[in-house]
Amino acid sequence: MVHFGAYLFQLLHYFLISSGMLKKYRVLPLHKLQCLAIVVDSGEAVDTLRIRNLLRWLSSIGVKNVILYDMEGVLKRSESSLRRWLDLTLTFYDSSPLPNQDKMSLEFLSYSDGKEAIAKAASFLCSKYLEDNNLMGETREPVLSESDIAEALRIVGCSGPEPELLLVFSPIRCHLGFPAWRMRYTEIVHMGPLKSMNYGAVIKAIYDLSKKQQNHGMLLNLPPGVSIIILPT
Amino acid sequence: MEPPEAALVPFPPGLTPELMPRHVAFIMDGNSRWAKERGLPTSAGHEAGYRSLREIVRLSSYWGIKVLTVFAFSSENWLRPKTEVDFLMRLFEGVIRENLEDFKRQGIRLCIIGDATKLPPSLQKLAMEAAEVTRENAVIELLVAVSYSGRSDIVQACQKIAQRVKDGTLEPADITEAVIEEELVTNCIINSPYPDLLIRTSGELRLSNFLLWQSAYSELYFSKSLWPDFGEAEYVDALSSFQQRQRRFGLRT
Repeated sequence: MVHFGAYLFQLLHYFLISSGMLKKYRVLPLHKLQCLAIVVDSGEAVDTLRIRNLLRWLSSIGVKNVILYDMEGVLKRSESSLRRWLDLTLTFYDSSPLPNQDKMSLEFLSYSDGKEAIAKAASFLCSKYLEDNNLMGETREPVLSESDIAEALRIVGCSGPEPELLLVFSPIRCHLGFPAWRMRYTEIVHMGPLKSMNYGAVIKAIYDLSKKQQNHGMLLNLPPGVSIIILPT
Repeated sequence: MEPPEAALVPFPPGLTPELMPRHVAFIMDGNSRWAKERGLPTSAGHEAGYRSLREIVRLSSYWGIKVLTVFAFSSENWLRPKTEVDFLMRLFEGVIRENLEDFKRQGIRLCIIGDATKLPPSLQKLAMEAAEVTRENAVIELLVAVSYSGRSDIVQACQKIAQRVKDGTLEPADITEAVIEEELVTNCIINSPYPDLLIRTSGELRLSNFLLWQSAYSELYFSKSLWPDFGEAEYVDALSSFQQRQRRFGLRT
């Protein structure tokens, strides 16, 4: 009963957000959101209509970079049609397109861009190591670093930004194998199944991110006005 | 085999023994905040956090959970004030020393994972000794991640693979995700190498570089409680939530 009451309250909250009645959610601060990842259960990823709706929402909010992920690559297979649709939508329905306004960029990922990609990167590095040894005619000890793996992932075509926020549309609370290398400090929000997706819930997740303060494990007490920028490795 | 006192602890009502996760992982967050809220030094928060951990290990072993992995100290935590880091290193050492006999008696198999080279030599030695002494224990496996980072785990796995390539025991073309999995630090786990349930306390919603590879199919549970306040009631809530969700794996597991 308590859970049901909380659920109803949450729905009402989302309704008030999406109807614009709650002032603080009207203008979303997007300074912390360079990249947003959407994880969809593969069983639901076939629902192109809902995916399109979600993309329309994100575009209207002003999100600039979106990663679409599902394990089995259902979204990847719909990539060209989704891109075409998005171009048309932004061309015809954007009420006031600004000159030179960046379009929302899309990246499509599946399971093969995660663990399989790291295996490919490791294979590439080891082949290169053997090659270099042959060229030099001597056997050096292999030494690998994070930046070596990151560079190898770029070479095998599986690198990209680390999203600040990951929205999981799935019946289960699980990131479903989203590429491990790209989610060290990503905020993960479970949105429930795609069929019950809610505009207010998306707005709230983005708003909550803007209020987050991450210390990356350091717990430094800095004087007011001083901040630390963590550069991506 | 079950712990000697298991019969004295009733199984929580509302939970089904058959649906218990085999492996639970914890990001134990909120010790400093807990201390700050009470006007106490950070060290008091860490000591309270240790008491919480002891209780969670006890309950887990009674309830049939086979593996517990806890994030005690991340690679990034080395950047905290030296006094806090030194205190934590002494605390880890004290806890292992103090509990080693209990671990043996209660069937707890202890394993410290992470970059051991950065730890004080005395702690390195003690961790190895504890792992050796408890190696045959089979009630519950307790993995404590110290100086650990998910990315570094992947890097060190690739490093070991490169060594195998150098030694001629592996061809680059034969490197697969299964080969990488063999070399991850969690490979020391006998039962279930990957967490079924990953719990993070203190209301934060991220993995913070913990078990990045291993958590692909883990049910994620974010608790608002600070770690020192996380007790039996909160644990039962997390386990109930886990049991209510029908686990569905994708193509691969």
